[in-house]
Amino acid sequence: MSLHARWRRGRTAAIGTVTIGLLAAGCGGSSGGSSTDPDTLIVYTGLADDWQRNYNPYSPEEIEGNGSIFEPLFFFNNARQDDPAGLLGTEYEWNEDGTELSITLREGVEWSDGEAFDAEDVAFTFDMIRETPAFNSFGFDGTTEVVDASHVVVSFDVPAYMDAPQLLGKSPIVPEHIWSGIESPETDIIADPVGTGPFLLSDFKPQAFTISSNPNYWDGEPELKNIRYVALSGNQAGADALAAGEIDWQTGPVPDIANFEANHDGYKSITIPMNQMVLATCANPDLGCEGPQTDPAVRQAIFHAIDRETLNSLAFQDTASEISPGFALPDRDAAYVSADLENRTAAMTPDFAQAEEILEGAGYVRGGDGIYAKDGVKVEMSVRVVAGWTDYITAVNTMSEQLTEAGIKLNVSQSSWNEVTDARNSGNFELAIDSLYPGASPDPYYVYYQFFHSQSTKPVGESANPNWARYANPEVDAAIEELAQLNPDDGQDARQPYYDTIQANIEQDMPYIPLMVGGTTSQFNSGKFSGWPTDVNLYAFPAVWSRPDQARVFANLKPAGE
Amino acid sequence: MRYYARKLGFYLVALWAALTLNFFIPRMMPGNPVDALLGKLQQRGGQVGPEVRESYEVLLGGNSGEPLWNQYFSYLGNLARGELGIATSAFPAQVTDVIGQSLLWTIGLVGIATLLSFVLGVVLGTVVGWKRGSRLDSLVPATTVLSAVPYFWLALIFVLIFATNLGWFPRHHGYDVALSTGWNFEFISSVIEHGTLPALTIVVSSIGGWLLGMRNMMVSTISEDYILTAQAKGLRNSRIMTRYAARNAVLPSVAGFAISLGFVVSGSIITEQVFSYPGIGSQLLQAVQNSDYALMQGIFLVITVAVLAANLVVDLLYGVIDPRTRVEN
Repeated sequence: MSLHARWRRGRTAAIGTVTIGLLAAGCGGSSGGSSTDPDTLIVYTGLADDWQRNYNPYSPEEIEGNGSIFEPLFFFNNARQDDPAGLLGTEYEWNEDGTELSITLREGVEWSDGEAFDAEDVAFTFDMIRETPAFNSFGFDGTTEVVDASHVVVSFDVPAYMDAPQLLGKSPIVPEHIWSGIESPETDIIADPVGTGPFLLSDFKPQAFTISSNPNYWDGEPELKNIRYVALSGNQAGADALAAGEIDWQTGPVPDIANFEANHDGYKSITIPMNQMVLATCANPDLGCEGPQTDPAVRQAIFHAIDRETLNSLAFQDTASEISPGFALPDRDAAYVSADLENRTAAMTPDFAQAEEILEGAGYVRGGDGIYAKDGVKVEMSVRVVAGWTDYITAVNTMSEQLTEAGIKLNVSQSSWNEVTDARNSGNFELAIDSLYPGASPDPYYVYYQFFHSQSTKPVGESANPNWARYANPEVDAAIEELAQLNPDDGQDARQPYYDTIQANIEQDMPYIPLMVGGTTSQFNSGKFSGWPTDVNLYAFPAVWSRPDQARVFANLKPAGE
Repeated sequence: MRYYARKLGFYLVALWAALTLNFFIPRMMPGNPVDALLGKLQQRGGQVGPEVRESYEVLLGGNSGEPLWNQYFSYLGNLARGELGIATSAFPAQVTDVIGQSLLWTIGLVGIATLLSFVLGVVLGTVVGWKRGSRLDSLVPATTVLSAVPYFWLALIFVLIFATNLGWFPRHHGYDVALSTGWNFEFISSVIEHGTLPALTIVVSSIGGWLLGMRNMMVSTISEDYILTAQAKGLRNSRIMTRYAARNAVLPSVAGFAISLGFVVSGSIITEQVFSYPGIGSQLLQAVQNSDYALMQGIFLVITVAVLAANLVVDLLYGVIDPRTRVEN
């Protein structure tokens, strides 16, 4: 869902970050060049390169398509607890034991080449996902049966409630009459996409491409007529272009975010807490992890000794927010946060006394240099961070200072993204700063399944994706598996006991040390267009790279007009 | 003739060595392209099971546990057929397409800027060297200071002054993205408008080196006896300056120019970053960040061949300009 890391990666490309930031803050002149129409929205997705034509909504390198050109059946809003909204589907229903999913489709929808959309297209798409391993990122194994032109039934061998958001919400439907002739859809760039979505591709150039409103869209032609995607060299160029009024929507860091709206006339900024920042630890000695962090007491001590308030202001421009040690988002998932947790949210101020008590209780003794040690082994660990990710680097440096006071030594080790990823996946690390990304719907289940289930991990030396901590706890595994058997639509009462079990366990074991929830910050031109998501009307996750959320925003925008 | 045959032989061996290094160096880097690609897929929400991984390994064609030697020979074979493989950072685009899309822009911008800076530097250097000790000498420290300023800083200052504050030039891109691409006046003039400022920054920051080198060679050439002879014969000063002094003084600069011409294709990563200019430098940066071996190899190949070719041409040319190099003892 989140392409957090994508824009982060863009950041490494920015050269002379601080200096350009200073320049950007001080400039005000007119834009030199690009002509702008009042009904053309200009967006920058954070990609630090020229566009390579690719409108295949299932390709990892698609540049656009999912949501805007191709539509899924339903829209699952990841930003707040909404009911799924119907797009190409109008309703869906599970049978009693969760093995049969009946979907009703919208009638009267046409593909942009004039052919009618029907159940055969849906069945074709689902079959294609099942049979194309490269597309089947969620292990879909259901069989699809067309009942009539507007009804489809998907059958599973085991309860598959938790597959629904991915299948219904993140799997754009493609036209059978075109795609059935494509030999290998995984390597086709779909240069001229035919879809049912609100927008159509109208022009492609490596430095910019444009999509335009679909006059025959089933919900009526969108008021926003054109969207131009421009290529810039990274976040710094993005911030500069924003300052000059050359782009209307971007998601990424900008200098001096606190005064953004005062410095940028007509623009607004929105910050949505979504990615949970953690110090990932290689926690499981049974799977080959080594180092002081394999002792839960050390992880707990670090958890209590961090001064999150200082961290937030020094590293994150105060855009981060409180995190829950049970890893349910304190805001969006408030109802899921367990009452059994010792701390509902991690304290924003440090508690050195408690950190020391935990370490001393576990048999650690402070040495002459002030660092705790046990059996001659010092509590000294290296923490991995990607070179160039300035906010994370500031964060680990700050923590390293804070933890020294609590008798824990961190050695900051910066290396390239490739190297950090490699170390993290293969388990050759002690600590690494990273974030846990959310799943396909507003349900903490997905974070648990991906990051805490032993099925998602491997012994050190093999690539574990994404349970980097090598966490394995049979109680947690069982609770996650039980959750998959329950229909989320039946209400929370039946599910909450399992959430309580998971959260209590992971708070105790703490394989990922919770830091804070990172804010995803987007800036948009509210003078030129109205209808943007706001804190009170968060109808989609407002990140321009978040598909299909971006299409909901596009469909909702209205040119202010002149 | 033996001189040329020997040169060609030497370049063939150099090419082979470069190709071999080109194969092994990316493989010594940490990370792998499959992980980079899967990382992107994963962040969209989804489990990446072993099947997905296998399927991408097959699609990307590498990393299948094949012995390195086999990979090496199939790499050489593919090169001979002109196949560079799939660029994983732009999957499923072909490396040749990715390079083709950006190479012309880089050659256009950096090539013209390099040529301009060489010509200007050499001409100015000739004049300054000829009139050594005059006020013109102050050009030397002035231009070398500009060369010594870190390039990104200079470029940013230029952007601030000429693009942001004065608004004379556009800030981003290689052309006006609202126009349609094509060989029409409107588009071409937007290309020139967008390229001027980046080219200017390259010229300003590199001219000092040429000027200084040329000026110093001129000064030492002028003290040669044949200049004195020429003056004694009563030749015109302008003729002595160009035909006698400059022709001899320019030789080292020509060699340097050959090398910098070769590097034109590698682009100027920083220029492209600062100006969001389409070009091969930013592709290279992306390739490195995404462990995209195929694209890296493709770009290195183009750079290597360009550097070798430029050197070969100059080597051959050198034989013409300076007959002494052809003589064997």
